[in-house]
Amino acid sequence: MGIPFGYVLFLAGTVMVLGMICAAARRNLIMILLGVEVMLNGAAIAFIGAALRWQQLEGQAFVLFIIAIAAAEVSLGLALIVYLYHRTGSLDPEDYQVLK
Amino acid sequence: MTAAGLTDTTLLAALLAAKLPFVAFAIILLLTRARPRLSAGLSLTAIAVSLASAGFLLVTHWGIVRPIEYSALWVAGGDISIRVGVLIDPLSLIMLAVVTGICFLVQVYSLGYMASDPGFSRYYAFMSLFAWAMTNLTLAPTLLQLYIFWELVGLASYLLIGFWYEKFSASEAGKKAFVMTRCGDVAFFLGLLLILVHLGNLDIRELNGAAAGRLSPAVVTAGALLIFGGVIGKSAQFPLLTWLPDAMEGPTPVSALLHSATMVAAGVYLFARLFPFFSRSPTALGVCLAIGTVSMLLASTMAMVSRDIKQVWAYSTISQLGLMIMGLAAGNYPAGVFHLTTHAAFKALLFLCSGVFIHAFHSNDMVAIGRQGGRRLRVPAVCLVIAAAALSGIPPFSGFFSKELILAALADLPNPLWVAAGLLGAFMTTYYTFRLIFIILFPAQGGPEKIQSHGDGHGRKSDYQLMTWPLVILAGATVFLGFGEKAVTQFLLQPLGSSAPAAAHHAWLPYAALGLGAAAILLAWVEFGRRGAEQVGFVEKIAPLHALFSNRWYIDRAYRWLLDQVVYRLFSRLCARNDQKVIDGAVDGLGRVVAAGGSRMSILHTGMVQYRLIVVFVSIALMAIYFFI
Repeated sequence: MGIPFGYVLFLAGTVMVLGMICAAARRNLIMILLGVEVMLNGAAIAFIGAALRWQQLEGQAFVLFIIAIAAAEVSLGLALIVYLYHRTGSLDPEDYQVLK
Repeated sequence: MTAAGLTDTTLLAALLAAKLPFVAFAIILLLTRARPRLSAGLSLTAIAVSLASAGFLLVTHWGIVRPIEYSALWVAGGDISIRVGVLIDPLSLIMLAVVTGICFLVQVYSLGYMASDPGFSRYYAFMSLFAWAMTNLTLAPTLLQLYIFWELVGLASYLLIGFWYEKFSASEAGKKAFVMTRCGDVAFFLGLLLILVHLGNLDIRELNGAAAGRLSPAVVTAGALLIFGGVIGKSAQFPLLTWLPDAMEGPTPVSALLHSATMVAAGVYLFARLFPFFSRSPTALGVCLAIGTVSMLLASTMAMVSRDIKQVWAYSTISQLGLMIMGLAAGNYPAGVFHLTTHAAFKALLFLCSGVFIHAFHSNDMVAIGRQGGRRLRVPAVCLVIAAAALSGIPPFSGFFSKELILAALADLPNPLWVAAGLLGAFMTTYYTFRLIFIILFPAQGGPEKIQSHGDGHGRKSDYQLMTWPLVILAGATVFLGFGEKAVTQFLLQPLGSSAPAAAHHAWLPYAALGLGAAAILLAWVEFGRRGAEQVGFVEKIAPLHALFSNRWYIDRAYRWLLDQVVYRLFSRLCARNDQKVIDGAVDGLGRVVAAGGSRMSILHTGMVQYRLIVVFVSIALMAIYFFI
């Protein structure tokens, strides 16, 4: 119980913002997916910190779910990216304007 | 129950024994994969230190009465707490010594057997992985830790069976072993959950002690039976017994170590570990006894017709494990454990001897080995005979003492059916063992042919010597281990607070067993051994019986049918239809709706996904500011 809750939240926020920047600024689908993963990890850190702060197990359980969902999401996302790359030959999000 | 510092030599030795092989495994996989000799050296050093630590522990704790446990809390929450650590009591000490001892000898033997194999480093890495998992399984103080390492030895088994993965049958066999043992492990895991829910922890000592009295008899029976499901899978008992003969696709030292002496015995070890818990439920014990008996008899009949030398030992392993389970289920705890110990030595010896023949003659077929002059390899031939005599329960070899204990335990049961089954099993065991011995040592059709000179002759001599030393040591153990019967029984029973079980004395039993053994040897001699014997067993003359036995009682075919008809036909088709119609339909429909909506809304869009993302982030930030500030 050494680390104050504020620090944990600060770390979680930092990771979250880094992920946001990565997702919003990189012009590469894989990096966008990575950014989303990093954001999920930021949320997970916040949950863990909260679980420690209030001595509740639910936070840890949530993180297990987050990890599982993240794994599923990344496999699905990568499959989508592979498929898109086959269709268009590009990983640049700017090239995906079919709906426009 | 207290965690002491590392200054405690007992803890230090236990940790050394349990953790070093993992270090070797990691180093070999990460760093020294390209340097086979160094890898083998690392692995051997680790297991040698493990063996020394195990020996040290066994010597310093000989005669302990109270089990020693070092553990730390690992998972806690609500009413549930699970610890990890080491538990030192007579059972785990004996098993640890057996495991590390056989591991060490097999690794030395492998230096010769696996020499110049391209996967030499990988082989030693997996061997270390197995040694680590098995020692930790042995020392586990809680069922969850035991379960974790239980799965890890399963993994090591899978990797080593499929070691020559270029061979299709080998990778198939690995897969089969993995899936079939997993069936049992699911039951085991359900049993763990059941106990965890009702008891709140998985402590082995608590489960064996008075605390289990809190559980209702129904829960105890259900838990014991589910856990026994794991035993069935791991020890290849009926009905999950067909993976073990297929597992013989792996290298022979692997079969000796994993699939006869230690890993498959882990099932019996688990049974012995939870013996007081199992004894609370007579129903569960009855089921265990029946399954052990059925497996023992089925496997013995299969062994009577097989021509593949390794398959014979595989069937024999199943039947001996069944015998151990019978002994335990009959209520004689030291008998089962002692037979486990002696069996580990003589069965490993049988496999390693067979390995020398296979290495020399490049054939698994016992007739071919006999014809090519198997008996010219003096040391393995003599060791094979010693081990076979132990397996058949001939005095003064170790198998005699341990089998006699189990048979006596069976004779104590009120129903004479069990001891009759045990004696029948012993008869068949002796018959198929000596069938193999006579075929190899007294080949039909004239004298042995000249040993073919193999092209890769150089280096064979030193390989051969490396392979014979472990044989000699194991043969020594096979000869002398039997005389430790009293001491081991005493040692095992001390913590339970009871002296040797007051078994009724069955004076007729050794004579009956020996008489049957002699009859079996005589039968084998007439059919296979004597000059001019046609070398066709009586079973092979009865066609339907032969077909039944050599097709493994059609168990594999039943599984195939189940898989084809029920799983593929019914479930897979339903799943496929669900996937195509419901899921694809819904997703496609959703896509169509979105596409239609999107084409109407596209006026609003810049067409760049990341701008939308930024809009989302900014709006969330603004909402956060609005709500919280």
